[in-house]
Amino acid sequence: MSPEVALNRISPELRPLLCSVVRNGRVGLDSTNCLRVTDLKTGCTSLTPGPCCDRFKLHIPYAGETLKWDIIFNARDPELPPDFIFGEDAEFLPEPSELPHLVQWDAGDPECLLQLVKELIQQYHQYQCQRLRESSRLLFEYDSLLEDPNYSRSMEIYAGHKNSWTGEFSARFLLKLPVDFSNIPVYLLKDTTLDPGEDVALLSVSFEDAEATQVFPKLYLSPSIEHALGGSSALHIPAFPSGGCLIDYVPQVCQLLTNKVQYVIQGYHKRREYIAAFLSHFGMGVVEYDAEGFTKLTLLLMWKDFCFLVHVDLPLYFPRDQPTLTFQSVYHFTNSGQLYSQVQKSYPYSPRWDGNEMAKRQETCKAVEPATIFGPALPRQIHFISI
Amino acid sequence: MTPRGASVYRWDVSIMAASISGYTFSSVCYHSANSNSDHEGFLLGEVRHEETVSISDTQISSSELLQVVEVHNHEPCAQLFSFYDYAGQVNEESLNRILKDRRKNVIGWYRFRRNTQQQMSFREQIIHKQLTQLLGVPDLVFLLFSFISTANNSTHALEYVLFRPNRRYNQRVTLSIPNLGNTSQQEYKVSSVPNTSLNYAKVIKEHGAEFFDKDGVMKDIRTIFQVYGALQDKVQSVCGEVEQSERVKEKVQEEVNKLKQQIVLRKRKTTDEERRLQEAQNPEPRLTPEENTEPPETSLLSRVAFHTPSTPERPGPSANPPAYADLLSLQNDSLLPFSSSPTSAALLPRPQAVGSPGHPSPSPLGLGLSAGPNPAAGQEDDEEDDDDDSSEYENLVSEVGQLPPVSASVLLQGRPAALSPDGDASVRGSQT
Repeated sequence: MSPEVALNRISPELRPLLCSVVRNGRVGLDSTNCLRVTDLKTGCTSLTPGPCCDRFKLHIPYAGETLKWDIIFNARDPELPPDFIFGEDAEFLPEPSELPHLVQWDAGDPECLLQLVKELIQQYHQYQCQRLRESSRLLFEYDSLLEDPNYSRSMEIYAGHKNSWTGEFSARFLLKLPVDFSNIPVYLLKDTTLDPGEDVALLSVSFEDAEATQVFPKLYLSPSIEHALGGSSALHIPAFPSGGCLIDYVPQVCQLLTNKVQYVIQGYHKRREYIAAFLSHFGMGVVEYDAEGFTKLTLLLMWKDFCFLVHVDLPLYFPRDQPTLTFQSVYHFTNSGQLYSQVQKSYPYSPRWDGNEMAKRQETCKAVEPATIFGPALPRQIHFISI
Repeated sequence: MTPRGASVYRWDVSIMAASISGYTFSSVCYHSANSNSDHEGFLLGEVRHEETVSISDTQISSSELLQVVEVHNHEPCAQLFSFYDYAGQVNEESLNRILKDRRKNVIGWYRFRRNTQQQMSFREQIIHKQLTQLLGVPDLVFLLFSFISTANNSTHALEYVLFRPNRRYNQRVTLSIPNLGNTSQQEYKVSSVPNTSLNYAKVIKEHGAEFFDKDGVMKDIRTIFQVYGALQDKVQSVCGEVEQSERVKEKVQEEVNKLKQQIVLRKRKTTDEERRLQEAQNPEPRLTPEENTEPPETSLLSRVAFHTPSTPERPGPSANPPAYADLLSLQNDSLLPFSSSPTSAALLPRPQAVGSPGHPSPSPLGLGLSAGPNPAAGQEDDEEDDDDDSSEYENLVSEVGQLPPVSASVLLQGRPAALSPDGDASVRGSQT
């Protein structure tokens, strides 16, 4: 059900409350999606003219699960606070005194419901942590993480129900990794079709059994970060070491991620440097270059009266990864009507060279390249000049 | 949580059954259906405990505790949050204001909410815990009503579930409504729900004297009890009479058996004597059973008197119920007194049936064998002897018609020819 439909069907007095939930409602660590509302029903008689819905199901993402809570209002008494049914968690009973937005319910405040839900989620988290006591191993994991200030406040735990057949107890830890994404070049983050929201990296670790022999970690990145870091294929986190524990593993993953981010940032700067150097070297020979991301550069060069284009593609993890040079002729066509071009990757290159050095080296190698690339068809007497 | 009252029951074993009277149920539904929002109230009634002890061969005993909850009435709340606040905190004053003096009758509470799940909500659970403590009802029940309507409002279902949330397991209890259902196949049940209406009480009081006596018991009942009492007394006295007659019968039976024994012995004795006599007269032994038995028969018949208490030496014929086949085979024998040939009849004295007219009834035998028509005697003989002896008498009865009456002293000796010399072997009658 789209938010608009929900807002149309709900009783007018309750509309502001629901509005803040469906439009701005983000609770918990996974805030990429708003809270979802389904199953709008009414508590009035069927003869009451609509819209008069006053009860619905709220879907809340939490620790990789989706909680489905029923929220029950009364359209006839909209100033009264709602009641809740916590779905399958029949044993979850929060203490009302821990819910200030319930005790001092203010129907006039549109944010009241959202705040109340946040408080309930906090209580729910406490409840789940309590349930971890059934497994000493998992409790240990939790306690050790709790001591670390990096993780203690950004943790969601879902303790699954004990499997009555196997007696297995499972739990999932969802941790927000304290990685600084602020220095990632903006251009990388802009290029997504989705609303990026907050840049966040979440590590989900599922313990399928209480003895931590089957552990499945998974890294979730917000879409912009994922794109900025080169897609999901570029990121492989190490497997959870058997016998290891979260307090060792999580910092490892954190470090990995941080390194990647550093690479990306570094790469950006290096590319910028490279392009700058090429610009200063080849000056007028530059046709165009990517001034935002510094990923591409096109040069028009002449060697012994033979003109050709050189496209330089700088990869994301430059200078670790070598740039790709594409030589393109301005005279010749291939059979398919494209300009004849050839990609060159094997040329002297070292990531340790700085931009200037690379530019210089490119200069010399470009003198050799055209001859080999364009073949004996070219006039022998081609000298390299910049145009 | 200890239950109210002196007894301590085992929570885990008890089962709960709940019932609500039809009119209370319909009243709650009416209130609920007409409210345009959620609705709540209290359930009034009583809880009683029944313990069933069953004894079987395998176990010594097993007891089953049944807790029966009966809802008699309900007290609806005028609005929501009337006795609790936003945090779900119950206000005891408001509670008393709503319940007034009916507080002690509260056994549960109910809530109605449309289009929601059949599960206790957060606030309901909190309130329930507090009510349990405040009202002092350890097994407070919660009745949840819900109307579920289809999307096009064509069908509405009223669902109701009774919970006992203070238990850990088996929280849902079946609520039965007497007489709601197919009554054509069941009888109309009268529930034990008392009628608490004042008007009803007034009318009954006015007209009650016609039906009830001063103790409040229906007059008819008393009358019936009297009849019952009279019947019981009668039965008691009849029992006494039966006992007496049984004893008499027992005594008579004993005597009969004794006499039978005597007869048998005497017969044997007589037969022996006659044989000796014959042997003394005739050196050749006569082996035909009929010839052997013939002379002894005469002496037997002459000697044996019905009421002689001396033990007979040979068993009398009465003690040997002859097989019918024997009788038939011996019919040819002219010595048989039963045969239709006049010669045989003439030779031997006629047997006298028991109880035949003209025959004096000896006292020891008692009523059964006193004078009376033969069939009656025969019948009485039949009743007394339920074994082979009775057949002996039967035969006597059937044959008596053919025989002329004999002297009073002769009785029961009519069939000597049918007897084998060895009286003992053929004594089939039980010498009881």
